[in-house]
Amino acid sequence: MATIPAPAAKPASTPPVPARRRTGATRERQTTHEGFLVHRGGKWIKLSAALATALILLYIFVPLPPHHFGSSWLGYTLGTVGALLILWLTMLGMRKRAITPGRWSLKAWTSAHVWLGVLLIVIGTLHSGFAFGWNVHTLAWALMMIVIVSGIFGVTAYATLPRALSANRYDAEGAITEKQMVEALRSLDRQLHDAAQPLDSECAALVGRSLEQDPFTGSIINRLTGKYPGDATREAAGELRRLRVHRPRIADDPLDKVDALLTRKEAMLARLRRHLRLKGWLQAWLYVHVPMTFALIAALSAHIVSVFFYW
Amino acid sequence: MSFVVRQIALKSSGEEIVRRSVVDSDVLVIGRDASSGIHLPDLAVDPRHARISALEADRLLIESIGEQPFIVNGRSATSAKLDLAAGAELGFGGHRITLAREAESGLPTFTVRRVEAVSESAEAIDIGSAYTLQKLLPGKRLSAWAFAALMLIAFLAVPIWSWATYAPLALQKDARRPAGIHGDTAWSSGKLSLAHKNLDNDCQACHVQPFVAVRDNACMTCHEDDAHQHIADGARLMKARGEPAGFAGFQRAVANAFNRPAGRCVECHTEHEGAGAMPATRQQFCTDCHDGLKTRLSDTKIADAADFGTAHPQFRPMLVSGVAADGKPVLQRAVWNNGLKENTGLKFTHAQHLSKTNGIAQMVRRRPGEFAANDAGPRDGLGCKDCHQTDSGGARFKPVEMEQACQSCHSLTFDQIGGTFRTLRHGQPEQVVADLRAAYRGSVPPRPASLSGMARRIPGAAAQQSTAADYARAVRFYPVKADQAVAAVFSKGGMCYDCHAVTRGGSAATGGFSLQPVAQNGRYYNKGWFDHKDHRKSDCASCHVKAATSNDADAVLVPGIDGAGGCRSCHVGEGGAKLASAHVKEPVASGCAMCHEYHMDNGAPWKPADKRKGPGLLTAVWDTGRSWPRHPPTAR
Repeated sequence: MATIPAPAAKPASTPPVPARRRTGATRERQTTHEGFLVHRGGKWIKLSAALATALILLYIFVPLPPHHFGSSWLGYTLGTVGALLILWLTMLGMRKRAITPGRWSLKAWTSAHVWLGVLLIVIGTLHSGFAFGWNVHTLAWALMMIVIVSGIFGVTAYATLPRALSANRYDAEGAITEKQMVEALRSLDRQLHDAAQPLDSECAALVGRSLEQDPFTGSIINRLTGKYPGDATREAAGELRRLRVHRPRIADDPLDKVDALLTRKEAMLARLRRHLRLKGWLQAWLYVHVPMTFALIAALSAHIVSVFFYW
Repeated sequence: MSFVVRQIALKSSGEEIVRRSVVDSDVLVIGRDASSGIHLPDLAVDPRHARISALEADRLLIESIGEQPFIVNGRSATSAKLDLAAGAELGFGGHRITLAREAESGLPTFTVRRVEAVSESAEAIDIGSAYTLQKLLPGKRLSAWAFAALMLIAFLAVPIWSWATYAPLALQKDARRPAGIHGDTAWSSGKLSLAHKNLDNDCQACHVQPFVAVRDNACMTCHEDDAHQHIADGARLMKARGEPAGFAGFQRAVANAFNRPAGRCVECHTEHEGAGAMPATRQQFCTDCHDGLKTRLSDTKIADAADFGTAHPQFRPMLVSGVAADGKPVLQRAVWNNGLKENTGLKFTHAQHLSKTNGIAQMVRRRPGEFAANDAGPRDGLGCKDCHQTDSGGARFKPVEMEQACQSCHSLTFDQIGGTFRTLRHGQPEQVVADLRAAYRGSVPPRPASLSGMARRIPGAAAQQSTAADYARAVRFYPVKADQAVAAVFSKGGMCYDCHAVTRGGSAATGGFSLQPVAQNGRYYNKGWFDHKDHRKSDCASCHVKAATSNDADAVLVPGIDGAGGCRSCHVGEGGAKLASAHVKEPVASGCAMCHEYHMDNGAPWKPADKRKGPGLLTAVWDTGRSWPRHPPTAR
C-alpha cells in the first residue's frame, strides 16, 4: 500500500535544497510521494486525535449515571457510532479493489481507515464504560481490540519492512527478483548435482538430501521466525566438512567444489528465507485482521441483539 | 553377451531424444560411476549399485553390489531374477529402467528414463503463491466465515435457545432453572446484586418477554409484600417528576420509542452492576421530583429540596409542647430558629452545671472518681457524659434519669435514723408528702435534759413545770411541722422546686402542690436520620453550641441547618456545593440518602455494607418502661 503510485500531491515538507548543478538538476532524489499515514498533511490523524480528545472530555465532564454507562445517552450514541464505524472500516476490503484518485481516493480512504480505526479504541472503550466481564459484550470489545492492534501491527509492518525487504534483495550484483531467487537455487542445485557425481554413496546421499529439500519448506513458525532447524543443506555442508577433516588433501577433490557450492546455496537460501520471513510478516497480520473482523461483526451483532432481546 | 541400453532424455519442448548403445559384456553394472554399463547420474544411486548377469536363455539375475536396495516392479529388493519375456521395471533413485526384449536384435534392452527432477527446486514452483502464506495458513475467507459462524452460534443461537427453553418459568416465584451453564448468561452484562444472587442463572425471572424492557410485574412476582411505594399513587409520582423538557424530553421520547417507558421499578433499581449490595440512591433520583416539587404538585405539603448545601429547607424539629392527660407527650413540629423553646417541665441550668469555675466545678474536683466522664482528663467540672448516656445503638441518647444523673448531688435525704438516711421517693409526690407527714407524726422532739429524773435542776417545781409544759406543747404541735416541711420542699429553695415546675392547685394528697409532668425529647428530627455515633469524634459543643451558655431547660439546643453548629458547618451538597455564607473547614459531601431514604421508616437510611460504620444500627429505644417508646426498635 505504501508503494501505491499516487497523483502528485503537495509534499509533506520541503527538503533542504541541495546545491544545484548548472543544468538545474540536483543529485537529491526528489519524491512527491506522500504516505497514506500522513495523507493530505495528516488530515485524518488530526481529525481522529481531535475527536478522541473531545470524546474523552465528554466522558469525563458530562454528568451521567455512574453505572451502566452503555445505556446512557452518550453510551448509546457511542455504541451506534462505533458499530457503524466498524462496518464502514470493514468496507475497505471491498473498496481497496478499486484504485481511484481524487478526493475520495483509495489513499484517502486508507488513511481514514487507519486513523478512524485507531479512534475506535476510544469510542469502543468509552462505550464500555470500563465495565468488563466474561460476556458477549466484552467479547465484542476484545475482538475489536484484536482487530485494531493487528491493524496497527500491519501499518507498522508496512512502514518498516519494505525497506528491509529491498535491502535484502540488493547485493553487489544488483537486485534479485523472487523469480531469480528460485532460478539461482535451481542453478546451484544443478551444479551440485553434477559436482556430486564422483562422490561416494554416503557423501552423495548427504548432497542428495539437500537437493530434495523444498526451498519453501517449513511451517508458519519457521517462516515467521526465519529459523529452520534440521535444514538439509546446512547439515550436508557440516557433515561433509566433518568427513573431510580426516581425509588426505588431494588436488581436484570433488568435495572442494561441492563444499563451495553448498556454501553458496546456504547463502542463497538464507537470503530467500529472510525474504520469506519479511514477506510473511507483511502478510501474517491480515490473517488475524480479516477473520477477526468478521468474528467481530458477528459478535457485535450478538451483542446488539442481546441488548434488545433482554431489554 | 550383449545388452542394449537406451537412454532417453527430454527436450525442453517435451520431445524425447533416444541414445542407443550396446554393451558387450557378461555383466552389466548399474551405477553412478561413469564407467558403468548403465550410467545413472543420480546421487541416490551408488557408484556401483547393482549388476545384471545372464542366468539362462531368457532369464537375468540382478543383484545389489553394495547393500543398497533398488526397486523391482514396485518392490524393494537386493536381488531378483528377471524374466526377459515378461519384462520388468527397475527403479534406481530418480530413474526408471524398463527391461524388454528388443524386437529386431532379440537382445535384452534397458530403457533408462529420468522420472524425478534433479532437485526439488527444479520442480515447477508457482512463484505467485510460493512467496505467500497461502499454503501455511487456513485461508482468510474460510477462517472469517468459520469464526463468524462460531460467534453467531455460541453467542446468539445458543442463548436464544436457552431463553426459549426456560421462558415458561417466567413470572413463577420459585421456578428455577437446573444448575449448569445456560447460554444466555453470556449476555449478562454484570453480576446481580447480593439480594438477587440466586437469580444469576435465571434470566427469565426478570426478562420475561424478548424485546420488552423489564416491567414491574416481574419484580412483583417476588416483592408483592415488601415492595414499597414512595407515594401510593403512581400517577402522582409521575406528575411529581414532571414532563422532561429539552434534551431530557428527547431522551424520554427515544426511550418510549424503544419501548422503555418511564416509572418502572428498574429505573432506580438498576441491576447487573456487580456482585455486592445495591448502591445508595443518588441525589438526582430525589431531586428529579423534589427540586421544584411545588410547581408541579401545588397541593403538596413537602417543601422543595434539592442540593443539601444550597437548596434544603430549614429543619423542622418535633418539639414537646406539654404532656397530655394520658401521660404521653404532646408533640408539635416547628421551623427551627435560634430561640426555639419547648415545654419539658424541667428546670436545668446547662451553663451553670458546665462551668469550670463555680461551686459545682469545685465539688467535682473534691470528689475524684465519681464523675466518670472527667476522671480520665483534668477534673475541672461536669461533662456532658455525666448526665447524658447514649442508647444501646449509639444513635441517640437515653433520657436523663434523676437517680443516675442528679441524685449524687441533688440528694433527696430528709431524715437520719442511726446511720441510715431516709430519702424522699422521686417521681411520686404523694409519697413525698406522706413520708414527710409520717416522719413528723411518728417521732417527737428531743426531750429536754431538765425533764430527766437525775438531772440537776433549779430548786422548786416552777421551772420544771414550765419546761414540761413547753415540751408537751412541742410534742402536741410536732406533726404540724410536717406541713411546713412539705411546703418547703415544693417551694423555692426546696429540693423538688430546684428542678421541677411546681404550681399550686394540687390535691390534698400532694399538699396542694402540683408538679408538671416531665417529657424529654428523644428525637427531634423524625424525617431525617441523625446518628450521634457517626459524630462521636466531634466535641458535643461544636454542634450544641448553646449548651455552655443556656440556663433554660426548655431552650432547644439541637442545631438547625444553618448558623453556629448547624449541619451546614460541615455538610455540603453531594457535589460539594455550599452557600457563600457557609464557612466549611472540612466539607462532608452529603447526598440525600445520607439522612433520608425513599422507603421511609424510623430507622437509618439504607447504606451499602461497606459504607456502614460499626455494627448494625439499632434505633433508639428507651430503656425504661416509664418512658414512651415512640419508635419501635428496628434491627437494620
